[in-house]
Amino acid sequence: MSTNVVETHGLAKYYGRRRGLESLDMEVRAGEVYGFLGPNGAGKTTAIRVLLDLIRPTAGRAQVFGQSPRAGGASLRRRIGYLAGDFIVDGGQTSRQLLEHLARLRGGLPNGRIEQHADRLELDLDVRIGSLSRGNRQKLGLVQAFMHQPELLVLDEPTTGLDPLLQQTFLLMASEARDAGQTVLMSSHVLSEVQQSADRVGIVRDGVMVAVESVEGLRNHAVRRVEIRFDEPVAEAEFSALPGVSELSLSGSTLRCRLTGRADTLIKAAARHALESMTIIEPDLEELFMAYYQGEETPQGG
Amino acid sequence: MANVFSKALWDQRRGIFGWSVGVAAVGVMYAFFYPTMNTPALADFMRYFPQELFTAMGISDFTTAAGYLGSTSYGILGPILFMVFGAALGSRAIAGDEEAGRLDVLLAHPIDRARFLVERAAAMIVALSVAGLTMFLAMVAISDLAQLGTIGAANLAAASAHIVLLGAFFGSLALAVGAATGRRAWAAGAVAAGGVLTYFANTLGPSIEWLAWSRDFSPFHYYSGGQPLRNGFQASDALVLGGATLILVALAALAFRRRDVAI
Repeated sequence: MSTNVVETHGLAKYYGRRRGLESLDMEVRAGEVYGFLGPNGAGKTTAIRVLLDLIRPTAGRAQVFGQSPRAGGASLRRRIGYLAGDFIVDGGQTSRQLLEHLARLRGGLPNGRIEQHADRLELDLDVRIGSLSRGNRQKLGLVQAFMHQPELLVLDEPTTGLDPLLQQTFLLMASEARDAGQTVLMSSHVLSEVQQSADRVGIVRDGVMVAVESVEGLRNHAVRRVEIRFDEPVAEAEFSALPGVSELSLSGSTLRCRLTGRADTLIKAAARHALESMTIIEPDLEELFMAYYQGEETPQGG
Repeated sequence: MANVFSKALWDQRRGIFGWSVGVAAVGVMYAFFYPTMNTPALADFMRYFPQELFTAMGISDFTTAAGYLGSTSYGILGPILFMVFGAALGSRAIAGDEEAGRLDVLLAHPIDRARFLVERAAAMIVALSVAGLTMFLAMVAISDLAQLGTIGAANLAAASAHIVLLGAFFGSLALAVGAATGRRAWAAGAVAAGGVLTYFANTLGPSIEWLAWSRDFSPFHYYSGGQPLRNGFQASDALVLGGATLILVALAALAFRRRDVAI
């Protein structure tokens, strides 16, 4: 028995001749925050909407809590909170009216639950939705997804339109949801928006999953830049053959290089000498992602 | 718990109010002309024209209250207004909301699509009924003043029930086309084309030999063929319109369950 909350195998979706998904294999484990990453048009929204049974796949299969979205129907959707990539609702009502309606569709919520979530995101419930700013509308979307504390949260580009402060609040909410045993699947086209709270990320390109990694693992085989200042000049040969070291250059007593993977051997080699300072520049994960996005050679390991 | 139903009615409350006032006003305005139209001079004048022309225009006679109302308030403009109101409600129920991108959020909730559609269809029929009831009450209220006393409240009620059923039929046609295609324009177009064709099938069909059969397929035939203003409620005609409405709603639900929801 798997403990995967979401599983897709060879999931494909064509709109006529236009590709939505080519063949997607995805596994989201129970109790994790899964970052679903990819450039615009890669198929993230298509995959998500299959999980909610809003669209039906052309081929392959999808399962949520072990059921196909189609067969699971309304009772399966009861266990899912969903934020659409484009959260659009009738603008003529207030947020409170909408949320109370949506709560009734789910068979009701405890008193005060709506207010509790709205307060957290500083959303004024009694303003007409039509007059809300984009950011405030996104907050409303987050409230309706989170308020019934579903077992699975499916969030399509949840941080769109949120200011940096609210992005932090959201990431905290996602982490808290995980701590409470909920599973979170959130899509984004930028890693930095999800890396802080995601346990694993899946990268989709042209409708196919090209990589699945823990955020830690990504960081480990990303490229870092290293600069070491020694008290006295050192021999290049001592460092040039070390694993993971490339583009080595020595000028006087300063060594610069690129480092892939673990820093252990380089640091131990350097420690044989007297050091003035050492700088390791954090890996630029975005750079790594651009490589995945553009379909270039991906870093070794995994 | 019919949350979708009650929410739909609440959201449409202004439109329902406006249409109800509108159809009642149109009905009343026509009715007030009856005393001035009901003159021997006009009856003489109308004799100069071939009867077929009046039939084609949906006009029977102006000399009796029932004939006059059946040619005016309940003859042309009334049915057209209910047809258009029904089409507006029916095309918005699924296709309109879908084109606006509003269905995604709602249908991701734990409600079956067919049930969602049926509840919205029920709201549409209630909205039409409110308009029909308002029209009926307005006609009863001015009945004496406009010298419509010979018709009687029961027959006015019957005619209003028939006009609601006609609106419900075209509304469910719009609903079905919209639910199957997701296009509001197609839904409205189906009602416009269907309305015009079946209207003339009812009025012209009988006078053209090879088209005579077509009247049996016209909802207008079942709306006014039994002359509810003279003969009261026509149960079998109402059953045809009501049955066709239910079939269209069922087809709409089936089509809607099967397809993708657009964003």
